[in-house]
Amino acid sequence: MPRGLVPDVTGPDPAPGALSRRRVLTGLALAPVVLVALPGCSAMADDGPDPLVALADAARADAALAAAVVAAEPGLAERVDPLRDARTAHAAALDAEVARQAGDPAPASAPAPAPAGPPVPADAGLPALRSAVEASAAAAAGAALDLPVERAGLVASVSACCATYAAVLG
Amino acid sequence: MSVIDEGATDALQAALAAEHAALWSYGLAVAFLDPAERAQARDDAEAHRTLRAAVETTLSQIGARAVSAQPSYATPQPVVDAASAAALAVVAETDALGAWRSVLERTTDRPLRQAALDALTEGTLRCARWRVVVGSPPAIPVFPGL
Repeated sequence: MPRGLVPDVTGPDPAPGALSRRRVLTGLALAPVVLVALPGCSAMADDGPDPLVALADAARADAALAAAVVAAEPGLAERVDPLRDARTAHAAALDAEVARQAGDPAPASAPAPAPAGPPVPADAGLPALRSAVEASAAAAAGAALDLPVERAGLVASVSACCATYAAVLG
Repeated sequence: MSVIDEGATDALQAALAAEHAALWSYGLAVAFLDPAERAQARDDAEAHRTLRAAVETTLSQIGARAVSAQPSYATPQPVVDAASAAALAVVAETDALGAWRSVLERTTDRPLRQAALDALTEGTLRCARWRVVVGSPPAIPVFPGL
């Protein structure tokens, strides 16, 4: 049989019968602990920064770097402009999701202007851009594994897009 | 231990259906493509064959009956030449991207999410190559699977 998608797997109903009763009992035993722990958990969730903020900032930084690369070497525009557009769209979508989660009725008025990128040496531009977008792909990939289901798809798409730009720019 | 619940099982069945359709699509497209693109199509079909086998194995491991391929599929436009064959490859890859993104959105199991993300990422590159052939910019989808 060919290898599966995941190494060690079980289906929707792994333990029917007596085991499910044991699980119910375990659940009851744990219930008071969970109740005590809940306020602490929600406080932690409120305190931590939304992980999508860093991903949106990375998208803005990549877009700024792409713009700087093209400014230094206009001949790269055809290859790099789509990347700048994609990262700008990623930043907008991630900002919108951050605002939605925070309960804002609309995405924060105007997104922060893209930071002015560092001066880019004409010959070092493309490798630097490739490294940046590769790092962005890895950061989004890591986040996509743990985010709630309603956010996992967006962040996975951002990762796949960035990884593909890294592959074609390499 | 990965636990694949019913929602994730349904999403995996949809991904398998998309992989069946992609394989059928490449089988049709390869007859019309130019030689250079034919090699690309064969490589891409091989990637889908590997994915299909992996999904079928996983479904079998959890005791689910894997959906079968259909004998044939309706193409959005008739495939009559190299251009329409490449367009069919774009459709097949785009459909598969949607199915794999959906797997990510239907499970919290990390290994399954990683597998779906890998499929999404590798499929985005395949999709981009065919979008270059078709000439539909941007080549790389901005939100693959959306």
